[in-house]
Amino acid sequence: MDMKNILKPLEPILSKSLDRVESFIHTHPKVDFLFGAIFGAFDGLLRSTKETTRTQPFIRNNYDVKRFMGAVLVALVIGWVLPALYFFGWQCVVSRLLVSFIIGVFVVDVLWAIIAREDHISEGGFVTCLLIPAILPPQSPLWLVGLGAALAILFRNVLGGVGNNLVNPALFSRLFLTICFPSLLVTGYQMPFVGMPDLHSFRYGLDAVTHATPLTAFKTNGEVVSYFSLLVGSSGGSLGETCRLALILSGLWLIKIRVVNWRIPVSYLGSVLIFSVFLSLIMGKAVAPPLFQILSGGLILGAFYMATDPITTTYNQAAKLIYGAGCGFITVLIRDFTGLPEGVMYSILLMNLLAIPIQSLMVKIRYRT
Amino acid sequence: MLKEKENIGFKGGFNLLDTYPLRFCNIIERISSDGIPEVFEFRVPAQKIQHVIVNLCPTEPWALPNWVILEHKTAAFLNKLKEIKTRYFPEASYSIAINKKEDEPNAAVKNYAGDAEWMKVFAVDAKYPQDDPVILLKVVLGIETNFGQDTTTQGVLILDAQTVTAIYENCMLGNKVDSRFIALSGTGLKENEIINVQLGTSLEKILRNRIKESGKYRVFVNGPLHGREITDLSQKMEWSINNIVVLEELDQKVMFPMFKSDELVLTTNMLGELRRCVYCNFCDDICPVGLEPALYYHSYKRGEKHKASLYNLEKCIECGLCSFICPSKLELLHIIKECKAL
Ligand code: SF4
Ligand code: SF4
Repeated sequence: MDMKNILKPLEPILSKSLDRVESFIHTHPKVDFLFGAIFGAFDGLLRSTKETTRTQPFIRNNYDVKRFMGAVLVALVIGWVLPALYFFGWQCVVSRLLVSFIIGVFVVDVLWAIIAREDHISEGGFVTCLLIPAILPPQSPLWLVGLGAALAILFRNVLGGVGNNLVNPALFSRLFLTICFPSLLVTGYQMPFVGMPDLHSFRYGLDAVTHATPLTAFKTNGEVVSYFSLLVGSSGGSLGETCRLALILSGLWLIKIRVVNWRIPVSYLGSVLIFSVFLSLIMGKAVAPPLFQILSGGLILGAFYMATDPITTTYNQAAKLIYGAGCGFITVLIRDFTGLPEGVMYSILLMNLLAIPIQSLMVKIRYRT
Repeated sequence: MLKEKENIGFKGGFNLLDTYPLRFCNIIERISSDGIPEVFEFRVPAQKIQHVIVNLCPTEPWALPNWVILEHKTAAFLNKLKEIKTRYFPEASYSIAINKKEDEPNAAVKNYAGDAEWMKVFAVDAKYPQDDPVILLKVVLGIETNFGQDTTTQGVLILDAQTVTAIYENCMLGNKVDSRFIALSGTGLKENEIINVQLGTSLEKILRNRIKESGKYRVFVNGPLHGREITDLSQKMEWSINNIVVLEELDQKVMFPMFKSDELVLTTNMLGELRRCVYCNFCDDICPVGLEPALYYHSYKRGEKHKASLYNLEKCIECGLCSFICPSKLELLHIIKECKAL
């Protein structure tokens, strides 16, 4: 309500200027070629579309994919950017975000829009570029972040853009980096900053030493970090996965506004819990304890933000439960029975591929076709 | 007899009345036709009627509200119904479906039902499309029926409040009924009002001086969700027209649409770009008959329209909610109709 009144006097002026820019761009093919795409995306965030309904029903709900993605962006900022600013320092977080966005959105995505002659870039790229720094080690080199963002956006666009992704582009890009630069992805984990922020904490991280993540520590010497530090984020890990509390709260908000379907995080986390309890009962201390499994690694980030990536899941809601449960099962298998400390990335990518067969199977069962 | 199961109703649907409430001016103007007005006629169905459902539960904000017919006269209304029962369908069961949130008629109907063994009262949730025949039959009688099927072939007669009074006037009292109440509303009109209009009046005459002078508009009868668009305003008023909605044709960009749902939803703007399906499940959660509309879209997009019929396509009651809610602005209902037409 208040927001509306503040913006009211500005509206006609803003709208007129946007119209002027729009007609300028459209009458100058060269400008259109270079900036049309960026303008389109920017304009689309501020204004509605011109199109009107042609078929029944003649009214439509005031909610579109842009606002859908906008909500994910807001949740990600609350879920990992804000906590990371505190735990890993401004310099570390801001530089990575800038690199990821500049390379991902402003270079690769815009170039692609120009080459493929699309009229604007899609806001799905923003989400991907916001995820890339979150799933890399806090001290990974900046070029690695840039390369990750470039690969993710490129990969998404090659496969046909938002609405056509086979697998989560951010995770796929990370898989690629893991294969090409294995050593860079096991180092660069530092202990988060704790205490009162001061001038030094602003630059925190630049001189920090590498430290094993809780999952690696468990793999090597069976050490279990305190659950409290896992929850609030004062233990090591990728830049965006450590503050589980914020991730859970913002994830719950996304569930409440129905951007995230509760079935996926619930079945994912639920199956991790069930399988790890089961394994703990049989194998005892040889496997990680259930609660530690839930709270460590990228599981919370993955369950709320990556496994739920709209198009890579299934449409059928019962199939969504199976999909989530499959993610959980594979995660526990990899963590407990392979040499790898973490399995979230592999499990989500694998289930992304299985989503299509699961979907058609469930549809077959439901409609007996 | 009173029937108030708490869990009565259906899954899905959308509460339009609470989300986009409309207020009507309560001065009712009368409009007469230029020619000879047509008259209302009640044809007794050929089949034996076993159940009569009186639908006192409009679910669309732009539909004719109950108070126009019932205000302070609910008991008299039910007495009329009783006389119709005695005369035409003495053996049928009578069910009254009423919006459980409308206090006045609700109390009056329940009070009356206390010693009227011949009728049952169902206090229902007024979410759209509770008043659709398929849903009404299922919720009130537990009878399955197909979309588009004449319910009288199954022995069920559905009457709305205005039809009950018209049958009474015409068949009991022998008066000629040549006019009816309709609701006029929408962003294209100067104000929302109820009018009493003679059958046969042209829509042009009804809307004259009521449409806002500035801006473009489009006219719909029986609501923008499942009603039809009228491009030729010389069309005549008929008994089946319950309401006329005039929407602003908003074919330009609007600043900050996210803060303006209330003003924007009742315009013809798409309010978003056409995208691909994002598997958000909004469409199957809102579908009142539990279908998965995106499946039809997927079949259609793959060029396999014929496969749509595998997914219970014939159950769709064409309520339009799936297209209404889809954030990707897919024309789901249009696709459904195309697939059905195969
Ligand atoms: S139009 Fe058909 S498929 Fe769509 S919500 Fe209504 S009943 Fe369901
Ligand atoms: S509402 Fe639209 S985008 Fe969402 S699942 Fe249904 S068809 Fe797809």
